[in-house]
Amino acid sequence: MPQSPWRRIGWRNLGRNRKRTVLTALGLAVGFMACVLIVGWTQGIQSQMVESGTSLIGGQLEIQDAEFRPDRSLYDTIGGRDGTDVEALLRAIDADEAVIAAAPRVYAGGLVSSGEATTAGAFFGVDPAREVALTLFLDPLVDGVLPAPGANQLVIGDEMARQLDAGVGDELVIVASGADGSMANDLFTVSGIFRSGLLEFDAATAVFVLSDLQALTVLDPDRIHEVIATTSDFRLADATAERLARSLEAIDTSGRPLAVNSWTELNPAMVEYVAVGESFHWIILVIVFSIAIFGVANTMLMATFERRREFAVMLALGATPRAVVGAVLWEALAIGLLSLAVGVAITMPLLFWWHNAPPGLGFLFDEVTLMGALMEIDLRVEYNLPVTLYAAGALMLTAMLAAFYPAIRAARTPPADTLSGL
Amino acid sequence: MLRSLRSFAALAVLTAAVWPASATPAAAQTDPLEIIDRVDRLMRGDSSRGVATMEVVTENWEREMTMEIWSLGTEFSLVRLRTPPREAGTATLKAVDDIWNYLPKVDRTIKVPASMMGGAWMGSHFTNDDLVKDSRLIEDYDIEITFDGAGEGVSVWDLRLTPKPEAPVVWGHIEYRVRQDDYMPLWTRFYDEDGELARTMEYSAFTEMGGRMVPGLMDMQPADKPTERTTFRYEELEFDVDLEESFFSLRTLQRGR
Repeated sequence: MPQSPWRRIGWRNLGRNRKRTVLTALGLAVGFMACVLIVGWTQGIQSQMVESGTSLIGGQLEIQDAEFRPDRSLYDTIGGRDGTDVEALLRAIDADEAVIAAAPRVYAGGLVSSGEATTAGAFFGVDPAREVALTLFLDPLVDGVLPAPGANQLVIGDEMARQLDAGVGDELVIVASGADGSMANDLFTVSGIFRSGLLEFDAATAVFVLSDLQALTVLDPDRIHEVIATTSDFRLADATAERLARSLEAIDTSGRPLAVNSWTELNPAMVEYVAVGESFHWIILVIVFSIAIFGVANTMLMATFERRREFAVMLALGATPRAVVGAVLWEALAIGLLSLAVGVAITMPLLFWWHNAPPGLGFLFDEVTLMGALMEIDLRVEYNLPVTLYAAGALMLTAMLAAFYPAIRAARTPPADTLSGL
Repeated sequence: MLRSLRSFAALAVLTAAVWPASATPAAAQTDPLEIIDRVDRLMRGDSSRGVATMEVVTENWEREMTMEIWSLGTEFSLVRLRTPPREAGTATLKAVDDIWNYLPKVDRTIKVPASMMGGAWMGSHFTNDDLVKDSRLIEDYDIEITFDGAGEGVSVWDLRLTPKPEAPVVWGHIEYRVRQDDYMPLWTRFYDEDGELARTMEYSAFTEMGGRMVPGLMDMQPADKPTERTTFRYEELEFDVDLEESFFSLRTLQRGR
């Protein structure tokens, strides 16, 4: 392909007014940086929301008896009335390549009473060691320690503690429906107080050692309601759920099917929120470069106006209008490439820094509750190659579009009138 | 107590189901308000004491409890379990709008919070709310006779009770069937606000206890769980016993009797 003189002229023209070139390139480069970082930041917030929502209280995956949802009946334990080999089930879940933690749970509901005060409570029976490896709400505790097995201890939310005027060491009366229909009741000592930050949860939740809650509610030791599990990346949850659904068919559940649900099925609102957030990426792109295009167009218009005598000479010497358009567009391409290089140079270090060590924004924002997740906003950004490539393309397109009108104007310069000073 | 019929207040039922054995046959009685008022009073007594057995059948378990019951008017009642042995001594006190439970295992009394009033009472198909609602049917409902004739081999009235606009009731409407010759209720059907049948209570084993004709057995079935039921059966029942309001205290609840 023959070397076009207009390409050389285009490159060379960048140096004719270096200040203007630098300012124009910086405008486009900052636009590129803004797009990549803003999109990365919104994705970072979305990731935080999902990670918090799937690690604060629950997991990314829930394995239950297929009948457990939506009623969450005390009787719909895994394996039904016969239960299942809980250790074998946990081993099978732990064996999955993506699973990094799994924890069994028993659920019940009833009354929690201290002195004159009584409140309704949701009871979680957990394996404390497994639970703190997976969820965040029990670690660290606001006060006290996790309950010890067989000691009739429990931890309660700080709001429940406030309502009951109870603290570590106090005895609480627990009343629940037993699996045999009895009004199960016993005394438990508060060993610790947690704070998830979700007010309703902290007001209504009491956490027991799994075996203690089984004993209270007259459930056999091999009857649990759920195993929650988490993977190394929440984006792996769907594939892991499918894999577990197949591998757990080998577990004996007395013929009752298991349901393996990922967070995307359990919290579709969160999925929709993420999808809506992603649609805004394009809006951000359009807004940023729409602003940039007018700045670049103005610069190119001024640049071509200042050089109209030069274009007149070129046309007078036989250059075609198309060649003049080509010269201006080559110049725009050159400034676009320069801007892109600058943009990448200033964006990538920030992207790398804020992705790996995001500065906190606690001085600007309090903790935020969103979609059941509790978040501390920081500057964490996510890498997004498609958006980065689109932003680069948008930058080049902006430079070219902004130059198009000035190029047409330059090509229509009347040589005689311009050179005669009219 | 009438409350027991309409809202199936179990305690209320236990405390009153009565109609004087000498009651005048009601052949000439066709005023629906009067019919329901008499059925209402049928289940009331100034005071009562009784022993009843409650059998609860669910898809997951069955159990039977024997309990002793005391009542004073519609405001006060006390129920104490005699069996099963593991729960003997467990007691419920209703005083006006509040309910307390005494738990002998931990020797503690707890007040049922408002948020749990919709919860099951003693594992039955009755709620705590059923125990405390004691508004009178004729005050809360517009009543009309929908059928007057032979039914189930006897002369009966069928009545439809529609809540008045401001009435603090939970049912969309209630249907009653009442035997004409002695005002014994045969069944009550409770419908939700969508007009769907929620539960049915059937009365049977009409017998004379404490000098009054009462339904000796009441069977409640939730419509959404046809295999489940709660059945009350009176073993003993006496009326106008010597009880004071002071009897229905937390002290009595805790100390037993």
